[in-house]
Amino acid sequence: MSDTTIGSPEIVAAAVRQGLASPQAEVRGAKLLAGGAMHDSWAADTGADELVVRLSPPARDDAAKSRAEFAVMKAAYERGCRSPKPIFVGENERGQTFMLMTRMPGDTNPRQLTTSPDYADARVALIDHLAEDLVKLHSVRPGEIDVPMRTPAPTEDPLLSAALLQFAEYDKQKLSPHPVVEWGLRYVVRNCPNLKPQTRPVHIVHGDLRTGNIMYDKQGLTAMLDWEGTHAGEAEEDLSWFCTRVWRFNRKDLAAGGVTDRETWLKAYERHSGETIDRERMKLWEVLQNVRWSVITMMQARQHMDHVMDSHEHAAIGRRGADTELEVLRLITGREVA
Amino acid sequence: MQDRPTAAELLDAVEGFLRKQSAAQQDRWLRFQLLVASNTLGIVRREIATEEGYVRKEWPMLDALVGAAKPPETFHEVELACRGRYDELCDAIRAGKFDAPEREAALVDFLWETTVDRVKTTAPGELR
Repeated sequence: MSDTTIGSPEIVAAAVRQGLASPQAEVRGAKLLAGGAMHDSWAADTGADELVVRLSPPARDDAAKSRAEFAVMKAAYERGCRSPKPIFVGENERGQTFMLMTRMPGDTNPRQLTTSPDYADARVALIDHLAEDLVKLHSVRPGEIDVPMRTPAPTEDPLLSAALLQFAEYDKQKLSPHPVVEWGLRYVVRNCPNLKPQTRPVHIVHGDLRTGNIMYDKQGLTAMLDWEGTHAGEAEEDLSWFCTRVWRFNRKDLAAGGVTDRETWLKAYERHSGETIDRERMKLWEVLQNVRWSVITMMQARQHMDHVMDSHEHAAIGRRGADTELEVLRLITGREVA
Repeated sequence: MQDRPTAAELLDAVEGFLRKQSAAQQDRWLRFQLLVASNTLGIVRREIATEEGYVRKEWPMLDALVGAAKPPETFHEVELACRGRYDELCDAIRAGKFDAPEREAALVDFLWETTVDRVKTTAPGELR
């Protein structure tokens, strides 16, 4: 069990009763599923429902973000995406933001997904399911979500908007100078204007779609999870984050989440959407997403250095920028280590 | 001079202990934390062995990118000064001073070599 656990079976039971507006509901089997840096997720059952309660720490100002996440999950669920059904978002009497949703069947274990021979058929089906569900999600327009969320300006290229955001984030988080990050970001910003203009309207993206944030069984995808990064942008953002090197686990040779190759992934999306993904735009997005992971490693290390969360794990993650930056250089130059 | 075991040998011993403890753990969270601790000592062990060579090799390469300078005496001072030269390099990249193809090619050679060196220390399994 994590030493940062936020909840308890009593807190979880109270959250279920509040979320279902059922003060007498009997809540059984509260069990910690995953303790993360940001949230605890707990399983809990009533007689009728298998549920998940996701709790934020009391000090974390999570309310606005959680409401946006809830609204997007609801829209995605109503579009037919494989996703938990969101039931409630709000605060408990301790001031903790929590979300109540249905519990989905399946497994999240990334290594089993990427390597087990028993899941070879599931891998093929999963790519098709993910592409299908992403297309459904990407049909949701920001105007349908009645909560403020990050949206590129109407005349702004979503890629450029995301790159400028990373510049600001890098300046805020860096503990030491990172020339590869500087150059990678400059490369994206300089080359973005040479791309074919994006003709699709801005739409909702998942924001953190990757191996490890999806549930699966032998038949393929059962649920997309962890919607807290959702915002408005363009499809390539989700397609490229799925390809980021860190999320390939021990199948670095399979660019798309350690599950399949990049072309199979993009073609699956093109098949379901009827649209063409510009490979040049996709490449710049992949550069940017690997830069983004490098900046996240700085942020995580900083949490330890600033004693927000003393953790040798977070400290060590600070050194994972190096192999991520090597991927940035690989993507731009096409070089490989001799 | 210190006796043996050397610093690297001591780290290696603790690294091995943590790896075995990790493998024997039933609790997934603790198993992972112990593995991270073991891997982190591996980074430190490799860094002690190679970092001075890497940083001293970078110095003349940086001369060509941010202007020539004489390296300080002690390695500790060289490391600090090198960090300062990285700041200068980052400012120059952001200011567009490496946008011209020839300058960019020289920059990329430097970035590639130093990044490969960093990964040899931090995550040698990620070189492929």
